[in-house]
Amino acid sequence: MKLAAAALLMSVALWGLAAVVALPLSDWPLPWADPLSLRPQQILLAYGQLPRAVVALLAGALLGLSGALMQAVLRNPLADPTTLGVSSGAQLALVAATILWPASLDLGRGAVALVGAGTAACLVMALGARRGFAPVTVTIAGMLVGMLAAAIATALTLSQGYYLLSLVIWNGGALTQEGWSGGLHLGLALIPALLLAGALARPLVVLSLGGAGAAALGARVGLIRLAAMALAVVLSAVVSAEVGLVGFVGLAAPAIVRRLGARTVGQVLMSAPLAGAVVLSLCDSALMAVAALGGPDLPTGALTGLIGGPLLIALLPKLRAIVPPGAEAGDTAPRRAPSPWRRVGVLAVLTIAAAVVTLVAGRGPGGWTVIRGDLAATFLPLRATAILAAAAAGALLATSGAVLQRLTANPMAAPEVLGVTGGASLGYAAVIFLVPEPGPVMLALGCAGGGALSLGLLSVHAMRADLAPARLLLAGLAIGALATAVLAAIMASADPRAWSLLGWMAGSAARATPGSAMLLGVLALVALAASLVAARWLEILPLGPEIARGLGLPVARIRLVLILGAGLATGAASVLVGPVSFVGLMAPHIARSLGLLRAAPFLVASWLTGAALMIAAAFGARTLSYPYDLPLGLFATLIGAPWLFATLLRGRRR
Amino acid sequence: MTLFQLERVDFDVADRRLISTLSLDIGPGVTALIGRNGSGKSTLLKMLAAQAAPTGGTVRYRGRDLRHWTGRSLARDLAFLPQVTPPTEGMRLEELVALGRYPWRGALGRLGRTDRSAIDEAIALCGLDPLRRRIVDTLSGGERQRAWIAMMLAQGAQTLLLDEPISALDVAHQVEVLGLVQRMSRARRLSAIVVLHDVNMAARFCDHVIALGDGQVLLDGPIADLLDPDTLNRIYGLPMQVIPATPIPVVHPF
Repeated sequence: MKLAAAALLMSVALWGLAAVVALPLSDWPLPWADPLSLRPQQILLAYGQLPRAVVALLAGALLGLSGALMQAVLRNPLADPTTLGVSSGAQLALVAATILWPASLDLGRGAVALVGAGTAACLVMALGARRGFAPVTVTIAGMLVGMLAAAIATALTLSQGYYLLSLVIWNGGALTQEGWSGGLHLGLALIPALLLAGALARPLVVLSLGGAGAAALGARVGLIRLAAMALAVVLSAVVSAEVGLVGFVGLAAPAIVRRLGARTVGQVLMSAPLAGAVVLSLCDSALMAVAALGGPDLPTGALTGLIGGPLLIALLPKLRAIVPPGAEAGDTAPRRAPSPWRRVGVLAVLTIAAAVVTLVAGRGPGGWTVIRGDLAATFLPLRATAILAAAAAGALLATSGAVLQRLTANPMAAPEVLGVTGGASLGYAAVIFLVPEPGPVMLALGCAGGGALSLGLLSVHAMRADLAPARLLLAGLAIGALATAVLAAIMASADPRAWSLLGWMAGSAARATPGSAMLLGVLALVALAASLVAARWLEILPLGPEIARGLGLPVARIRLVLILGAGLATGAASVLVGPVSFVGLMAPHIARSLGLLRAAPFLVASWLTGAALMIAAAFGARTLSYPYDLPLGLFATLIGAPWLFATLLRGRRR
Repeated sequence: MTLFQLERVDFDVADRRLISTLSLDIGPGVTALIGRNGSGKSTLLKMLAAQAAPTGGTVRYRGRDLRHWTGRSLARDLAFLPQVTPPTEGMRLEELVALGRYPWRGALGRLGRTDRSAIDEAIALCGLDPLRRRIVDTLSGGERQRAWIAMMLAQGAQTLLLDEPISALDVAHQVEVLGLVQRMSRARRLSAIVVLHDVNMAARFCDHVIALGDGQVLLDGPIADLLDPDTLNRIYGLPMQVIPATPIPVVHPF
């Protein structure tokens, strides 16, 4: 309580500092002053800074409550609107509505945001239900849904050009206010929300015994879960609609009150809003004070993201005690192929055929044609370069994903969640902002450096935690979240260079030179050879560390080597095609669903599938909106992700 | 000849000492490791398997400190089966058993004739010939446990460490698995250390017994020593009776 009061006092002081710098105390308007007689600075205080402070408190309270509810429902200390992808869903809905159907915003931003948030929540819950709501799996599913939504939102933003940069700023979570309406909306939402949460407290306590235990006590498990989750999603949608993407407050608030001694579900539900209000208010006031003293004006969401990443890592040890045994295991195996190598052969033929067809076929001014004559001499080398780059990048990502899925025995593992791509993005951004007119080599170096750095951080953390694979994935997600927050802040700076960053993040193979494409091709072959060398390890590692150690494998060293290799492969691929794509997750899944369960055919098939997927994506990106190229990485995400979620949902219900 | 020598071994987790200055010699044959829950049996077994390093003291296997064995050379001599065996996605029985040759062939070496014959022999010894092409996850509990033991035999190991290998099996499968271990020990002079909860099964199939309580040795001797009401009371903290029966007496609480 003392701590909360001190933090609140601190927040008020910082806010006061910002306000006094803007307008001396003696000039502050009295509450009953006539609005029409106010000077501009006074109006700014009364209708800008004052409501902003209130909005920070209210939004923080709502997010805190939303996070506490989600954590209670899922029995997962990592659940919050950000980690479950709910915020990103709301953001996507708002972006899409603004661009595609502006009239729908007349229904109210809250309603639109709710559609997006609700869809994302349903998707994550459906994925989670297939795996007994195992905390790590649900969190990874949520992060993936969030990444997908963010990718689509980026694509839409790009398609509309520079005008939507204000939308990007909103995505960064800015609490700037122009009146009291925002505060009023949030306040109106908070009161019934608190009452409902109070009514749900006791059912949620019963639910904390676990689904079967609660049902045995006569609780209607499905109904409780639905009601609490619906409330949490509504709250986060309301906040998203009002102030944008403010991450991790819902994660931090329950964690803080638990650390301060809140033990029961009821205590956490009632005190988390308070903690959330204090946390967000403190962050916002600090940023206001920084801006008032001449510093940069950063969106609040960027700061909460910066705090959220490390917090997520700090919370990881809490997971161990509560994970139900066996819950994190993969779904049931598909039927094993009778002659696996024949299937791999067919796959190889198909991949080569796809490469040849997309090389010669294309779309010209007169419709679909086969390239020939002079045109062929000019364009074939260009196309061949792009196809080789795309295929090699796909193969690298797929190999990295295949290795990680074997290593962790978790079908949700993927290079996308290792944080390597996030680090690579940061490296790219650093080069853009620090080097005047950087060349492609500089940019590639920046990417590789950023990726390697985040990989190094990950390895250090992982070594300390004995490299437990599940923690590793979450640590990677945390690094990714951190990178996203920093990138959001950069975007929000509205610097024109941010635009080139956004273009790179969308992914493209068009930048590839023949030299870099060849290099990537060689790397892909090396990765395939290396993974086959490690095939016997990858056969034994899914059996767990005890068996592996019993057979004489140096488990910790092998894990480190494999993770570093996967990270390097991911980094190399993202230099060329950008950070976003689900190929690394999808290709191994396809290989597995073909019945290729043993390590060697599985690795080769993943490699081939990754290449084929990216060849198809490159073809689609080139031809669909001829004569314009669509971003390759985004295209791969958009065609792959729906299929991926469909496969994950098909898994057997436990 | 002694297999294992423990010298003043300590084992700590977080803030608790599970095993404290334990000194013990373990010889060849089938040894039952018994004791109440939390007495340190599984911890001891994990230290013997080099799965966990002691906090203090030394564990020697065949006269050599376990820390000085390399992973693969130890795995050729010593095999360990954890209490819960993992799922083996889509793996055939013969493929699982073939993994036991990893200590001999490493990550890249091809399996030669000796490896093939070791695998075939292990499968035959465990009576699994008709099942060799079956998917392991579709086998029954007892069959699966025998498949894992076949993998340990294919390792060429002289010593088997088994952590509660029969805890999830019905009585017929319990007899099947422990009978296999006993036959192995008689016919091929293998040694085994088996963590067991069932005193009667221990008495029926083991040669020696080591009983732990609070990380201390309560009993160390031939298995016949276990069939004594006072000893049992000391181990389990419960009055027990020893009832004459064939082939050996049975133990039952009052």
